[in-house]
Amino acid sequence: MNELVEVPRDWLDSMGDVVRFGARVVGRVAGLQVLRYTGETLRQAGILIVSSTLVIWGLVFIIGLQCGIEGAYFNQSVGTPAYSGVFAAWCDLRELVPLCFGYMMAAKVGTGIVAELGSMRISDEIDALEVMGISGITFLCATRLLAALVVLPFVYLCSIGAGFLASYLAVVQQIGDVSSGGFFLIFWQFQNPPDVLFSLIKAMAMAVLVVLVGCYYGYNASGGPVGVGTATAKSMVINIVGVHLISMLGTQIFWGNNPRAPIGG
Amino acid sequence: MEGATDELDSRNRAGSVLGSSTTSDGDSVRPSGRPDAIRFVGVHKSFGRNKILAGLDMGLPEGMVSMILGPSGTGKSVCIKHMVGLLYPDSGDVLVHGHSVPNMPDRELFEMRKKFGLLFQDGALFGSMNLYDNVAFPLRQHTEKGEDEIEHIVMRRLTEVGLANAREKMPNELSGGMRKRAGFARALVLEPDIVLFDEPDSGLDPVRTALLGELIRQIHAEMLAEAQAAGKTRMPTFAVVTHDVMSARRVADYINVLWRGRIVGAGPAEVMLSSEDPFIHQFLTGDADGPLAMD
Ligand SMILES: Nc1ncnc2c1ncn2[C@@H]1O[C@H](COP(=O)(O)OP(=O)(O)OP(=O)(O)O)[C@@H](O)[C@H]1O
Ligand SMILES: [Mg+2]
Repeated sequence: MNELVEVPRDWLDSMGDVVRFGARVVGRVAGLQVLRYTGETLRQAGILIVSSTLVIWGLVFIIGLQCGIEGAYFNQSVGTPAYSGVFAAWCDLRELVPLCFGYMMAAKVGTGIVAELGSMRISDEIDALEVMGISGITFLCATRLLAALVVLPFVYLCSIGAGFLASYLAVVQQIGDVSSGGFFLIFWQFQNPPDVLFSLIKAMAMAVLVVLVGCYYGYNASGGPVGVGTATAKSMVINIVGVHLISMLGTQIFWGNNPRAPIGG
Repeated sequence: MEGATDELDSRNRAGSVLGSSTTSDGDSVRPSGRPDAIRFVGVHKSFGRNKILAGLDMGLPEGMVSMILGPSGTGKSVCIKHMVGLLYPDSGDVLVHGHSVPNMPDRELFEMRKKFGLLFQDGALFGSMNLYDNVAFPLRQHTEKGEDEIEHIVMRRLTEVGLANAREKMPNELSGGMRKRAGFARALVLEPDIVLFDEPDSGLDPVRTALLGELIRQIHAEMLAEAQAAGKTRMPTFAVVTHDVMSARRVADYINVLWRGRIVGAGPAEVMLSSEDPFIHQFLTGDADGPLAMD
């Protein structure tokens, strides 16, 4: 029984530390100390673009195809094939694109940060930085957060596009129960610019979470290579849970009281 | 066990006879007449129940090459981390040029650290940069120098440590000894007042060890001459941490012997090396017989 309580208590404790650490990193970005290391920020931004965009877009594209196929057949079955566009508009924009983005961030970017910072920690590289009079939190963590904030909105908006394109291809080109014009009529009726903004907010909240959790577990890694491995695994769990929580909260807040769509009632 | 502690205490007293005396203005001065660049005052440090430093009193005189000599696992690296504020003492104080490190606000601490060059035990080169960028890194971060000037300085340091040909190599392509020498070059590029070496000799072959010791002496002499010529107020201080008595013999001006979290003897190298004290004698000759045992 005790052990059953022990584990969640540990998690809660470490969540407190993550929040405190995250606040420091955000402080270094908001306080503009991070601008001293613009070069490093740009380098991190470059790494994000080169190493993560294609994977994210690819994953979102696949999900867009699936959403399109399921939506098309479901609407066919209830005799409203013209309404397939609703699936693309909602399922893609509101739920699955942000979730997939969050997953890929956690799997690729988050674990990457833990592994990188963790190995720097255990090989004394972070200490070496600090001894050179450079704050590790600013140089390593704040630059990564800023890079994410600069680059990821564009990456994300493009991935929404990739999801839409995939749904369009599946509904109109593959299954073909609805014309292109009919698809887009409904598609555009069931979303408006604030929805894109809300979706973006969801995704960026996930991105910030993933980067901060990654930085925390990497920066505070200990116990040699095994410790870095354990930290990576832990960060993945926290990130996936966090991504889901953000997804749920976002849906509740943005669309829970108001579907923001032409639905009578 | 009790007896051993008593004996340690008496060693410690014997050590402090060789150690510092305090002048009227409170600045401690070595028999050599030089003030201490770094001074530990009654430093205690434990990790959990593991007591590492137990009332460490130690001074590293300015302008000299000092050795901190002690067996593996006595807390030599811990000691170094206290000097640069990476670890804080549980009690006691660490003074660098008279300023208390544990009591420094962060901003001041970061400024103070720029006086230091630190060679970590296994180099701590940045794995994401090649050798050249590693050595250039402090210059790029802390100076406004142009790339030409940086290249000049970096190549001079890399040549000194015999790595000029490896400038494009990544740290994981280097041997342990090369990483150490590269770390040495990086520690020197900002011409720090105090250079700390954490076991520069461990994991090197005897010839390399001898060469590295010679290099340390030679660079210290160079920096000392430069500092004197430039009329600097601070003379370069080197502190070398090692468990190797041979390199202590070759390199040191001043020797501190650390054992079980305390200094059991300290003094100018020639005095220490000819010490009759059985404890110090055993340590410095590496004898198996004597008061020192495995535990
Ligand atoms: N961050 C830490 N947390 C817990 N224990 C530590 C920490 N750093 C050092 N120690 C412990 O302090 C003791 C001294 O370590 P230290 O690295 O200073 O030894 P050392 O004298 O440098 O030895 P070596 O010659 O092998 O490098 C060891 O027992 C080590 O386990
Ligand atoms: Mg050590």
